[in-house]
Amino acid sequence: MTVRAAIDVGGTFTDLCALDERSGEFLFVKDSTTPSDYAKGVINVVRKSGLRGEQIDRFIGTGSTMVINALTEMKGAKTVLVTTKGFRDVLEIQRSNRTDLYNFRYAKPKPFIPRRLRYEVDERVDSTGMELRPLSKDDVLAVADACRREGAESVAVAFYNAYSNPSHELQCRDILRERLGNLPITMSHELSREWREYERTNTAVMNAFVQPRVQKYLTSLEDEMKRLGVRIRMHVMQSNGGVSTFEQGMKTPIYQVESGPIGGVIGALTVGKAIGTGNIITLDVGGTTAKTSLIDEGNFKINTEYNIGRTQFSSGYPVKVPVVDIVEIGAGGGSISWVDDLGALRVGPVSAGAEPGPACYGKGGTEPTITDAFVLTGVLDPDYFLGGEIRLEPELAKKAFEKLAEKLKISAMEVATGAIRIATANMVNAMKLVSVRRGYDPRAFSIVAFGGGGPMFATTLARELGVKRVIVPRVPGVFSAWGMLMTDLRHDYIQTKVVKFNEETLRDLMAIVDNLSAEAYDRLAQEGTKKEDVRFEVVFDVRYAGQEHTVPTRVVIGGPDKKMLGEIARRFARLHNKQYTFTLGDPLEVVNVHVTAFGRVKKGRMVEWKPGEKGRATSSRKVYTERGRAIVRVLDRDSLRAGARVRGPAVIEEPTSTTILRSGETLRVDRFGNLLVEV
Amino acid sequence: MRATPKVDEFTLDIIQSNLIAAAEESFVAFGRTSKSPVIYEVLDYAAGLTDAKGRLVAQANGVPGFLGTLDMATQDCIGKFGEGGFDPGDICITNVPYTSGTHLNDVTLVMPVFVKKRLVAFSTIKGHWSELGGMHFGSWTSDSTEIYQEGMIFPPIKLFERGKQNGAMVEMIRANVRTPTMTLGDMEAHAAALRVGARRIDEFCNKYGVDVVFSAIERIMRNGERLARLRLRNLPHGRFTAEDTVDDDGITDTPVPVKAEVTITDEEFTIDLRGSGKQAKGSINSPWCATVSAARTILKAVTDPHGPSNDGNFRILNVLASDGTIFKPIPPAPTSTYWESMAFVTDLVWKALAPHMPEKLSAGHFLSVCATIVGGIDDRTKEPFAIVEPQAGGWGGADGKDGESGLVCSGDGETYIMSNEVIEVRHPILVEQYSLNTEDGCGKGQFRGGFGLVKDYRINNSNATFTASFGRSLYPCWGMNGGGKGTPNYFEIYEGSQSKKVRKVAAEQLAKGDLIRLKTGGGGGFGDPFKREPARVLADVIDGYISVDRAREDYRVVINPRMEVDAQATQSLRKTRPTS
Repeated sequence: MTVRAAIDVGGTFTDLCALDERSGEFLFVKDSTTPSDYAKGVINVVRKSGLRGEQIDRFIGTGSTMVINALTEMKGAKTVLVTTKGFRDVLEIQRSNRTDLYNFRYAKPKPFIPRRLRYEVDERVDSTGMELRPLSKDDVLAVADACRREGAESVAVAFYNAYSNPSHELQCRDILRERLGNLPITMSHELSREWREYERTNTAVMNAFVQPRVQKYLTSLEDEMKRLGVRIRMHVMQSNGGVSTFEQGMKTPIYQVESGPIGGVIGALTVGKAIGTGNIITLDVGGTTAKTSLIDEGNFKINTEYNIGRTQFSSGYPVKVPVVDIVEIGAGGGSISWVDDLGALRVGPVSAGAEPGPACYGKGGTEPTITDAFVLTGVLDPDYFLGGEIRLEPELAKKAFEKLAEKLKISAMEVATGAIRIATANMVNAMKLVSVRRGYDPRAFSIVAFGGGGPMFATTLARELGVKRVIVPRVPGVFSAWGMLMTDLRHDYIQTKVVKFNEETLRDLMAIVDNLSAEAYDRLAQEGTKKEDVRFEVVFDVRYAGQEHTVPTRVVIGGPDKKMLGEIARRFARLHNKQYTFTLGDPLEVVNVHVTAFGRVKKGRMVEWKPGEKGRATSSRKVYTERGRAIVRVLDRDSLRAGARVRGPAVIEEPTSTTILRSGETLRVDRFGNLLVEV
Repeated sequence: MRATPKVDEFTLDIIQSNLIAAAEESFVAFGRTSKSPVIYEVLDYAAGLTDAKGRLVAQANGVPGFLGTLDMATQDCIGKFGEGGFDPGDICITNVPYTSGTHLNDVTLVMPVFVKKRLVAFSTIKGHWSELGGMHFGSWTSDSTEIYQEGMIFPPIKLFERGKQNGAMVEMIRANVRTPTMTLGDMEAHAAALRVGARRIDEFCNKYGVDVVFSAIERIMRNGERLARLRLRNLPHGRFTAEDTVDDDGITDTPVPVKAEVTITDEEFTIDLRGSGKQAKGSINSPWCATVSAARTILKAVTDPHGPSNDGNFRILNVLASDGTIFKPIPPAPTSTYWESMAFVTDLVWKALAPHMPEKLSAGHFLSVCATIVGGIDDRTKEPFAIVEPQAGGWGGADGKDGESGLVCSGDGETYIMSNEVIEVRHPILVEQYSLNTEDGCGKGQFRGGFGLVKDYRINNSNATFTASFGRSLYPCWGMNGGGKGTPNYFEIYEGSQSKKVRKVAAEQLAKGDLIRLKTGGGGGFGDPFKREPARVLADVIDGYISVDRAREDYRVVINPRMEVDAQATQSLRKTRPTS
């Protein structure tokens, strides 16, 4: 027996999901996350799973939680910044915006490196890449001395205009390396070749800040896994929806920053492929947040303007790494309901978390959460939560809502249905943000719902959005981990090159595409990918001359230049009109060339569904909605065979989740065991 | 659906967040499609929605100074065309300072939104158009004496009628501005952004029904008023006054006195500006609408900084100014550097109230927009270039925190300083330095002010013109509770071997190799500097914010050559004069 295993290191728990490729059997193991040494928690779940090292023929880990925690808590390496003379305060000046308009005590995000550890060296290239002043070796040597004196653990090199010519960054690294040996060094151009000095510098700094920790984690994980007998080359999830090797993951850990929730998107893509649909809106509702993203004809969107910590009232930290475009809002099972100054009911973003958890857990929580609302309204079975692992106490849920009921002068049940409605409305807005707001009509999409809470909200959301079909994959609670097993190696390269778009410049742009592709080939080869398993996608960021912002426009390579030129222009105009309601007759410009290289790796396939033997019998219970009370049938998912059909209203239960089927909706079980709901 | 009245509360909430989202969507669309850096990079614009009567219902983030004017511009259009005078697809354009504008560059487009033939709302965006003609490149200038020198005036006119563009208007604009492609490109983007927002309004009106949306809008404003009154009752009541001085009248060196008397009761928040100077000769006049907008900004800051803004919030506000004064100029007064006085409306109230609410207000900040224009014809492309931008400076220290360094002024908000790398690609300019202005320092205090910035622009083109206005150059910002004053804003121009230090310049001709050094001031300090924790003073020295000498002089903290606080020496030094 060989298995593929994925690890998801969360804030509270570390999950292992393993799939036996032949039998299709799932193995799911959970243990506590060990923040003092994350590798330990991973090894714990691997041991607990009973798997032998040599059985594992694919292994995917995550560093997301570690990277995010180090950044949000600002606990990382003592990092030195080396930058161009005249620019050491860029990190502190930032972009000077006051996001919190009316707060006259606003505090900007604190820079990751204090001024004392930001050093300037004499050097300068201009925006075309021409050298104006050579790099001063003496200045760099002085910085090397300072690194020793200060006990630096990591160095970021970020020079002004380095996106157009990285040679000084490379020279600087070489000099430092000679003096400082193995001290980790991050160069800004390695991570981003886009203009804007603050954004690129900050990206380099954040990478350097987390690098020693991630390096230690992946190194010790690799050693331990080898000791357990693992022979294969292991991978780590990246934020762009692909994986990279551990080795690459140690150099560019910032790429892992938002890799946690991406498994679900890849999983949805895989499920969609199996059942013949490429248009999907994902819905992932966990304990604290709901996440949604859009897949258009089999492609997910990449966001290149990612930011850590940005809120309505804080400008956050920009990070120039490609991240799968996922919109996340503070509405999950643990989100707390409250009443504001004006007496209006609100939900989230504060969550009861895992400790103490929702009131109905009976672990000391007294605030009313969404999970409490579902218990109170009868959607959740108090005796069958997590398959009966936790017994829920409806009385405590009721008590929690009564506090708000008093303030609002309505019944606890009304508050609970109101809270669900508000959480739903927040999710609708998030889902519109990824669909309608970007010019997509949700009616042409299916929802793939997962996470413990996704299937509870999905059918209601589908109605609100006009979506016709909801897909609930198997074991929705661990679907993200399953999705991680379906990823390819992936590397993104973005190079800024601002040119008027014509036949002549098209040739220059294609030369850049060739260079970046060659670089990608090398990296993938180093990671053990064969040439025939490599695939490329190319996107130009295009705009009308004079505009600043761009529309990412896919480029299909091949054919005569003139034809390519015309096709790109037409595609751009269509997208511009879709998003902004107008087109112009002006000439076009290209700003960035974005090459994505995929390295195919051995992946799983979907397996046919064999229903469990011990499915529980059908029962029924009272469920309340804002429309009143109804007696609803309750079915055990494990008892449903492929081809089975259910007419709503009904509640479908399984250990990690609950699916709500409303009246007028019908459900069918496909041959893979997915629930397909026609709304 | 059986809707109980309480369920309607939930619907109200949902509609309110949709209204805000519609404004935000317009906001994003404008920046994404604009052709001038002042819009797409700086985000010098604001977007909002009003009801059919022109009362503010929702706004997106943006420039606070603009946000407070959106309703007045809309009402100006309604006043001209009448409530029934609009058709679907109309878009009005206006920029008249005296009735509803600020300076001529700030153009407001107003679009009525119809759903099922009923006028539901107006979608409104005010944005800074880079070039609108006038006496100098970039239109706004510091040496005008009449409005006619500052660009084109658009009385409310329909730029689009039933979706059809007014071709004659467009031809007029094309013929009168120096950068027609950029200006007209912005006009397209500006109008399109309104349509993007309208699309969303249409969508949720269809979903909830127009009547439900109407009653939700009424409720939103009523709730806004309720909240404002609630907060008003918790403010310290009484009469508070502050005075200050504007550097000059724009043309001569005569300073202009400004004064505010703030009266807070259970019912009203009154700002009386009638003790302020006469309308100025130069362009520093703050049009009435800008004055009110600046008053709204500070009202919001002291009542409800984090709540959504709407008409209801401002019903408790009463602003008084006399015609023909600096805060309510009459035609044809020039207004193109209006922020130099407008900012004082916010600042005077702030200064009067700060000691009474240190939990909300810091000491004074650098105040001026410190706006600059560098423009000309690019040698490389033979096309015009113009970089129009505000500069950031130091904010004041506050109870428990040092001031922020390099932050945009109170009139600006979600406003970004240009990326220097972007400047160098777009414009024939080299940025040689972009750093904290530690040389001039900041207001000392138990919690010190933040630092201003230094930015060096080297002209890399055969020609360039430079216009700038840096206020608070002669009268730096105020400290609080014993903290020191801030430092001045100014700039230096190095032409060949000549150099000068100035606060204002209009269309100065520069040549290749000339250098402009922009220097903004530090914020005021909070509290007695001798009470500053020695550890904080040491950290400031190690970080290079202040020198060892300044530590000793300003803070009475002695730092030894090993970079440690000499506790004993510090103590005895502080004993000799326990307060500064």
